[in-house]
Amino acid sequence: MIKFGPGNLRIPRFERPVYLVAGGMTDFRKKYFEKNTSQLCTEALRMAVEENDLKVDAEEFRRMVNWCVYSQFADHFGDQLLAASKIHDYLGFDPLGNIEVKTGGATGGSSVLAAAQAVASGYASCVPIVGWERMDDVSTKVGNSYIASAACKDFESELGWMYAAYYALMAQRYQYENQVPHETLAKIACKNHEYAYYSPFSQNPGKYTVQDVLKNEIVSDPLTFLECCVMSVGSAVLIMCDEETAYKLSDTPIKLAAICGGTHTLRTADRRDMPILLLPNETEATYASFKGGRRREWPGFSSFLAARMAAYLAYNMAGIKDPVEDFDILETHDAFTISDIQTYEDIGLRPYGRGREFIESGECYFDGKLPTNLSGGLIGTMHAVGATGIFQIIEILWQMQGKYDKFHGNPEMWTRYGKKKPADWKSLQLKNPKRGCAISHAGTGSHVTCAILEKP
Amino acid sequence: MDWPTSCLEVIQEEPLTVKNPKTWHHTHSYGGWGKFFQGLRESKLLATRCTNPACGEKRLFLPPRCDCVDCWHPTEWVEAPQVGTIYTHSTVTYPGELFKLPPGTPLISIEIEGVCTKLMSWLKEGKPEFGMKVKAVFNTKNPTNTILDLAWVPA
Repeated sequence: MIKFGPGNLRIPRFERPVYLVAGGMTDFRKKYFEKNTSQLCTEALRMAVEENDLKVDAEEFRRMVNWCVYSQFADHFGDQLLAASKIHDYLGFDPLGNIEVKTGGATGGSSVLAAAQAVASGYASCVPIVGWERMDDVSTKVGNSYIASAACKDFESELGWMYAAYYALMAQRYQYENQVPHETLAKIACKNHEYAYYSPFSQNPGKYTVQDVLKNEIVSDPLTFLECCVMSVGSAVLIMCDEETAYKLSDTPIKLAAICGGTHTLRTADRRDMPILLLPNETEATYASFKGGRRREWPGFSSFLAARMAAYLAYNMAGIKDPVEDFDILETHDAFTISDIQTYEDIGLRPYGRGREFIESGECYFDGKLPTNLSGGLIGTMHAVGATGIFQIIEILWQMQGKYDKFHGNPEMWTRYGKKKPADWKSLQLKNPKRGCAISHAGTGSHVTCAILEKP
Repeated sequence: MDWPTSCLEVIQEEPLTVKNPKTWHHTHSYGGWGKFFQGLRESKLLATRCTNPACGEKRLFLPPRCDCVDCWHPTEWVEAPQVGTIYTHSTVTYPGELFKLPPGTPLISIEIEGVCTKLMSWLKEGKPEFGMKVKAVFNTKNPTNTILDLAWVPA
């Protein structure tokens, strides 16, 4: 769709408020043969229910649940159709209803959206959202070809059998149009690997220099290994409730002010130009000189229309006027360094063509104006696809509840996963963050959700 | 009754981890898009155009669509120009399993005049550059019956 009708841009609304009360996860590993998927999901659910200071015990909680949402990207991995049913049973939720959601890399975000629709409409009042991926049952090479099956198999998959290659085509074009120094991109990788270093859940932590990233081996030019997300096994569980249930369970529930989704063609090839959809902090004047006044030459390969659409709806739904001013914390889907810069523009942190400023200004760091991916993100901590969008929202929830240290700083959390808390560990707990945003993203931008969390 | 004779190979005992073999094929019909792949065998680059005179999109789609994305009317097959320019490119060093092109093959996206899409393909000769003029070449001798039967060389 390149022309919008009046109904297409309707701003969604919840019929009643939606709250998040608790989250739990496993650590994330390249291989996790020690536990099967059902066990991993149970471990994450147990953490959500038993370690989040809920005011009820596990048995009481179980009696309050009335709907479940399951989140897994690919049945190829795990090699089990209807895995959700097996896990639902294992968690002891039969015969309650459930639904499994699938929207590629944005599956986690879409699952939270589906759960919110249930709670906001009055269909449900207490919903566990259970996400996982088990990507260790095939070799990395086969795993990459499975993931590339989520490109168009008729016309595009064959050209690389590798998602990084499809992103690299976009990255090269973005670079051609905007000439972002590779050093700037490398800084994103350094930042997220470092933040992952402070997380016991992380799979690929490390303190790297810009030079380390630049000298790293190339996957598909210009992207190096350290600039690409990890392939993970693990699970994440989020508990969502209506207002009454939320306060019955917790003294510190956080409101889900909005969550909205957008899409774009699975094949990047099919993206036709259209005028830029403006966010609340942009006007026609913002783009007076865009590509020499050619505002209609958008989104091309440099921008994600799906992300812009999701942000447009969510910002208008939650009353966001300026994301950098209004948000205190952000989690982006940093599958690749360059797509992260593209996302900065899509969600209005900077106008199109100027995304690099968000990192170069230092705003995206822990002590910056809008700390981004303190979780370590997909580059440093995890991309167990079905769990990813849920993991991002849990990390924001914990920050808003003041629980970063509890889950990242407790030495026992590290020993639980066979790790040792680093001697130079530092707390990334923000001072009283009031509003946060999480972007969940699929394909080369086929599905994107934008979630906005708010302290009530 | 005898026990089954095919057994799963044990990768490790703790925890018990086995190998599940997969050996079958999938049958895949290109459906209405098959004409495009058959066209490649005859050195034809077949695109589609909407037949609805009222439709705003007059340009060609490549990859083709049998039904117009804007108005859902049927489309007609039209030969697209066999020359274009490189819109973007990347060379994949670590492709996934099933990758059939020679290592170091540049992937490209092509802009073609009168076509509203930017077809993903590969460069068979030369070094890719933005805006470089290229022409289509076709694998007519021993077609793979995939999108790889189309490639581009400097024009």
